Amino acid sequence: MHREAAIREPLILGHKTYKDITDDVVGPIINPAPRPWYILITITGLIALYGIGCIMYLIGTGIGVWGLNKTVDWAWDITNFVWWVGIGHAGTLISAVLLLFRQKWRMAINRSAEAMTIFAVIMAATFPGIHMGRLWVGYWVLPLPNQFGSLWVNFNSPLLWDVFAISTYFSVSLVFWYIGLIPDFATIRDRLVKPLPKKIYSILSFGWSGRAKNWTRFEEVSLVLAGIATPLVFSVHSIVSMDFATSVIPGWHTTIFPPYFVSGAVFSGFAMVLTLLLIMRKVMRLEAYIHVKHVEYMNIVIIVTGSIVGVAYLTELFVSWYSGVEYESYAFINRFSGPYSWAYWIMMTCNVISPQLFWFKKIRRNLILTFILSIVVNIGMWFERYVIIVTSLHRDYNPSSWGEFHATAMDIGIFIGTIGIFSTLFLLFARFFPVLALNELKTILKSSGESYKNDKHH
Amino acid sequence: MTNSQSKNWEAGNAENVTIKQIIRMRKKIYWTGPEELDNTPVFQEAINNEFSGEQTVDAFLGDERLCETSTGRRDFLKFMGFSLTSATLAACEAPVIKAIPYVNKPEEITPGVANYYASTYCDGMDYANILVKTREGRPIFIKSNGDHGIEGGALNARINASVLGLYDSARVAGPMKNGDKITWASADADLVSAIGQGGKVVLVTPTITGPASLRAIDAFKTKYAAEHIVFDSISYSAIRKANLADYGVNAIPQYNFAKAKTIVSVGADFLSTWLTSNLYTAQYAKSRKPENGAMARHYQFEANLSLTGSNADYRSAVKPSEYGTVVKAIFSKLLSKAGQSGVNASLDGLDAALIDKATNDLWSSKGNALVVCGSNDLNIQRTVNAINALLGNYAAGGTIDLTNPLNLGKGDEADLARLIAEMSSGSVGTVVLWDVNPVYHSHQGEAFKKALAKPATTVAISLYADETASNCKYILPGTHYLESWSDHSLLGSRVDLAQPVISPLYDSRQAQESLLRWTGVQSSFYDFLRETHGKDELTWNMGVHNGTFVSQPILTVDVVMSADAISVANAITATGSEWEIEFYQKTGIGSGTQANNPWLQELPDPVTKITWDNYATMSLLDVESNGLNKYIAQKDHASVIKLTVNGKEVELPVFPQPGQKQGTIGIALGYGRGANGELVGKAAYQTGTKGEHLTGADGTPISVGKNAFALLTAKENAVQYYATGISWEKTGATYPLASTQIHSTVMGRDGVVKETEIATFLSEKDKKRGEASFNKFVKLGVHQDINGDGKIDAQDALHVKEFDLWAPHPVEGVGHRWGMTIDLTSCTGCGACVTACHSENNVPVVGKDEVLVHRDMHWMRIDRFYSSDYSLERGEAEGVGVIASYGKMERPSDNPQTVHMPMMCQHCNHAPCETVCPVSATTHSNEGLNQMTYNRCIGTRYCANNCPYKVRRFNWFNYTAYSKFKNVNPAQDEISRMVLNPDVTVRTRGVMEKCSMCVQRIQGGKLEAKKAGMPVADGAIVSACAEACPTHAIQFGDLNDAKSKVQSISDNVRSYNALEEVGTQPNIYYLAKVRNMDSNSNEA
Repeated sequence: MHREAAIREPLILGHKTYKDITDDVVGPIINPAPRPWYILITITGLIALYGIGCIMYLIGTGIGVWGLNKTVDWAWDITNFVWWVGIGHAGTLISAVLLLFRQKWRMAINRSAEAMTIFAVIMAATFPGIHMGRLWVGYWVLPLPNQFGSLWVNFNSPLLWDVFAISTYFSVSLVFWYIGLIPDFATIRDRLVKPLPKKIYSILSFGWSGRAKNWTRFEEVSLVLAGIATPLVFSVHSIVSMDFATSVIPGWHTTIFPPYFVSGAVFSGFAMVLTLLLIMRKVMRLEAYIHVKHVEYMNIVIIVTGSIVGVAYLTELFVSWYSGVEYESYAFINRFSGPYSWAYWIMMTCNVISPQLFWFKKIRRNLILTFILSIVVNIGMWFERYVIIVTSLHRDYNPSSWGEFHATAMDIGIFIGTIGIFSTLFLLFARFFPVLALNELKTILKSSGESYKNDKHH
Repeated sequence: MTNSQSKNWEAGNAENVTIKQIIRMRKKIYWTGPEELDNTPVFQEAINNEFSGEQTVDAFLGDERLCETSTGRRDFLKFMGFSLTSATLAACEAPVIKAIPYVNKPEEITPGVANYYASTYCDGMDYANILVKTREGRPIFIKSNGDHGIEGGALNARINASVLGLYDSARVAGPMKNGDKITWASADADLVSAIGQGGKVVLVTPTITGPASLRAIDAFKTKYAAEHIVFDSISYSAIRKANLADYGVNAIPQYNFAKAKTIVSVGADFLSTWLTSNLYTAQYAKSRKPENGAMARHYQFEANLSLTGSNADYRSAVKPSEYGTVVKAIFSKLLSKAGQSGVNASLDGLDAALIDKATNDLWSSKGNALVVCGSNDLNIQRTVNAINALLGNYAAGGTIDLTNPLNLGKGDEADLARLIAEMSSGSVGTVVLWDVNPVYHSHQGEAFKKALAKPATTVAISLYADETASNCKYILPGTHYLESWSDHSLLGSRVDLAQPVISPLYDSRQAQESLLRWTGVQSSFYDFLRETHGKDELTWNMGVHNGTFVSQPILTVDVVMSADAISVANAITATGSEWEIEFYQKTGIGSGTQANNPWLQELPDPVTKITWDNYATMSLLDVESNGLNKYIAQKDHASVIKLTVNGKEVELPVFPQPGQKQGTIGIALGYGRGANGELVGKAAYQTGTKGEHLTGADGTPISVGKNAFALLTAKENAVQYYATGISWEKTGATYPLASTQIHSTVMGRDGVVKETEIATFLSEKDKKRGEASFNKFVKLGVHQDINGDGKIDAQDALHVKEFDLWAPHPVEGVGHRWGMTIDLTSCTGCGACVTACHSENNVPVVGKDEVLVHRDMHWMRIDRFYSSDYSLERGEAEGVGVIASYGKMERPSDNPQTVHMPMMCQHCNHAPCETVCPVSATTHSNEGLNQMTYNRCIGTRYCANNCPYKVRRFNWFNYTAYSKFKNVNPAQDEISRMVLNPDVTVRTRGVMEKCSMCVQRIQGGKLEAKKAGMPVADGAIVSACAEACPTHAIQFGDLNDAKSKVQSISDNVRSYNALEEVGTQPNIYYLAKVRNMDSNSNEA
């Protein structure tokens, strides 16, 4: 059996047995939900409904209910889109890349991170949909045979690449997530007594029997999917960044965007995972599985990606000066000194300065500070996209068209609404789905469990 | 009837006779047939049998072969399903709206083919020879009568947009008496007996120029011993009186700016609103062609930065009270050059050096100099006359022609003042007001309104129940100029005809005809017109075809400088004050007669770029020093001040205007129409967030802007368009002003605007395109020995065109390549192209709130850039950092140089918009057009983001149906939407639109050429903007046609592509602006 060095911190704390793990994960599904869950889902549900209402109003009336205009044709819509896609990245990175790298600590967090990915991508996909002037003909972005003869999509357009990238990403993530859930659904099925829920979970578990053959295939599929998903981690946000990089707009047209966007995405994704998990471990009493060590690992990822992002910001500034192109250099001067400089400095503070605090061990192992900083990072990453989109557009080439963007209640309402929908989906997930990959966790109990590690097992 | 049945019939006859018996008993009864009548047994059997006839069910079911039929159960269900579905579908069929063809097709009307009719526009202020484009009997576009018009029929935005006024649903629908509808017959009967009863009869009209119209007026005058008073909304009476005093001619001379070598204008906005500004604009451009070598030099002395001032080579800001001083100073200096003296001119507070310079230039271009002044002061105008006489400008071939004067501006304010007095005293019995609105337009409007209650009979012949008409007993709807025959005569030497191009839309009758009826003439005005001009059929028909014929003789006037010129000049008194107001007219709204025209309200003022409002312009320095808001944008609203003018108070927002004289305020006339809720048109009122008209506390709708006519005063019965001794205070309130351009300077980006001075241009005009110092190609260095000098260095560079990611579009040299050239030297920024584009392309009007959030839909706009005192070079020299320099460059100079740059889709051959559209809704045509396929567009708006020129416009809402736009967008009004061009799609919500280079005209022109079997001739196809341009600054044509105008112009040394460095390779070429300035006085 695989043994781990004693000086490595255990990944599962306490004296957990296999049964304990099953109890801890399946318990919340079988037992009645606690009152706070109902309170929370009521709140998030109301926010979600408000957001849906705003979306209906938008679709019914026109894109003009947002604050967009002839100069700034994208603002919160695409900011939110990129932000949500970025958040989605952590899930895939954790489940796929860390799986390939055999990082066992991922097992405590991958399930919820993947769920987060799915929900975040759904939220992300909402925005390119509703931001279209004519949503009802949005399917024209798909290369479908059509009644107009050979009318085809434009393969030069990065927006089309986006359609492919996001839809591929979403389907692979969904399949990957679902495959991982199958053995756990089977465990729940086996625990349940009531016929209807048992039937449902039985269907969900695809007749998993737990035989060795099942497990072999499960492992194989997981590896194959991880192999497919890993390049997607890099491709999706690279392609999203090309929505900007292939344009001619100063501040968008930069070759640095793909790597910079990918690290930014991982950066914000991990921050969002931390935000969610720090609440979940407390509420669902999962402290033994998701503990300081996990948080510390994630904080290290945040330092690394945050620093990459910081270097990218400075590189952009350097290149804008070094290029000698007046439009390019003005775009960046305007970014930090123009009318939207407040957004730039929020971005710089949140994304470049705040993650550096994690160099201090005390801070990166402090759960409350981590929670606060994780939110700060996500605010910063939202502003990063806002800065790129709005400040680049509001003053581009022709000064006669320089304008301003001011958000309206609908801009804000729909964004808050998607947070509500996202949270509602996540709460439903926490209630009805196994929030930890319990069967995977069981594989590391004997090697990384605290009691086994220190030979204190009974 | 079968055999067995007939047998039964006979049998029944024998046995049953019941009904027959009843008949015999003479009771009334009905029977269903002979069976019942005879009550046959068969009948008796039949009535007991529920189902008549043989039932075949058993036979059918018993049929052994039933199972052998090919129609199985499934087929049955299929048929059933099909029938049901087809029945359902048939029920769902959309209602068919049938187009009914002509029963007898009129010879000249072919559906889908436009007809053009020559006509004349004259509203007493603006005058143009026009061609009216009609489609299926609807006039939809006004263009200039290039072949037969004065100055090629040059028109302006107001004339261009006037077609929309025809379709105004607010027009008076029929004759009214005391607010009740009456018939024309009863109106005529009433009036024939009422006119002249109980006092004097007065007819008030604007300046009427047509001989036939004047004859009709004379007939009326004779019949009722009536007095005819002329009232013009804007007065030029001082010019007339000055000419009367100096030369004995009560006339406004014809100015010819085309012949001028030096132009000095003191407060005359002759490119925008002063007299026949549209004609002057055309002339001005002719005298300012740098290619000709000698370009007229233009000096402007004025308080506001007017459109004219923004085009001047040298401009000095002076207070309106100082106009006389400037004129006097120029006169005095010219006199001393002529060896005379006697005028005591003081140059206190004036730019003495500039006046010197101007005087020197005037003197050296004697005979071809021109001095004009916007003042309505007799002494000042007489001194201007003296200056022009001294310079010999009246000589034959000179810049001023008094022998063939303008027939405009005949009004005299003294007459109106007298009328008010007479009405008040009760000596006037009948007032007939024909197309005049003195309650609004006169500074004595209130007094006029009060006096109007006195006469027994007050008649308004008007299109609207406006401020004046609504106070009259009778409102008789007149006809729109497109609905009636008329004649006009701007110049003594010719008569221009106006012909109806549509039947009157309402129950209206033209004013001349009404006068004839009341006079007792029963013939139509058309007959009267024919009779007046007495032309033979052929001459007349040619006149109607051309819209004009040469007419009256020319005056002879002997012009010598008036003997008392010096004493007149010395009599000019100037009493300035700390704060003064100059009242001006905006290019779009003019005197406000078309304030209800949404195209004009949405046309940005060429200088301030503000739409839908008037305001108080104040110098940037005054705004700063008084702590008023100097940045006006979406959320940054203008400070409101309360002005006290001649005892009247008005609150207006302050617009910081570079170039405004410190201590002066500019206020536009023509706003605040229908302030008491008169029906002057939907667009004259402010709208709220839901599109409803905003109302005041008392429920009356709030007008757009404030009426400044009420603030005017008169000096010796001449209205003065300025006020002194005024005061103002801050109110602390703010008010949003909707501007289409919130950034004023070009930020040193010479990729956008290129300009130079005349000397530089002349020394380099023979260079090849792209090599002149002021217009160099953008080249990028490459690591290759391009120039073949054996080494790779900075000289090895390729034109930016050579760097391309995509394969080039095969447009150069293949087929057509449509393109435009735009001469920034000729463009005055008048905005005629903007309204022309609006009307040609059904561009939606979106209203103030949307313009405020930068959502104006103009396909064609005119960017206005001010120079800044600061530049990166200056920053470097002064050791100021780049960032701080950019900050300072955002501020325009206090007296800036201005560039007007028309901007529309550049139809790039490497269009950034085309590559990014996911659904290929915007593509490149093989004729070089960047085309927009509306019904393919899904509205991602990436194309708009990626456009370096920001010319794409998105349909944020359904402008044709969403209630927010019901009071601003003509397409939402049942009548106004008749103005829409049927050749152009009205775009739906959620799609992108932009300049198509009038692709409908290109297609039409190509079809014509194909039918004629000839290649498309240069000039046969003209875009709407090029057609409307009075200076021909915009040229349209085929760049692949080696002989085309655009091809040769695009090869000019001044020609450049805007933002060439982006590599978009546009099909629009700009010609760099040349200023007639001394090369060393850049900072002037």
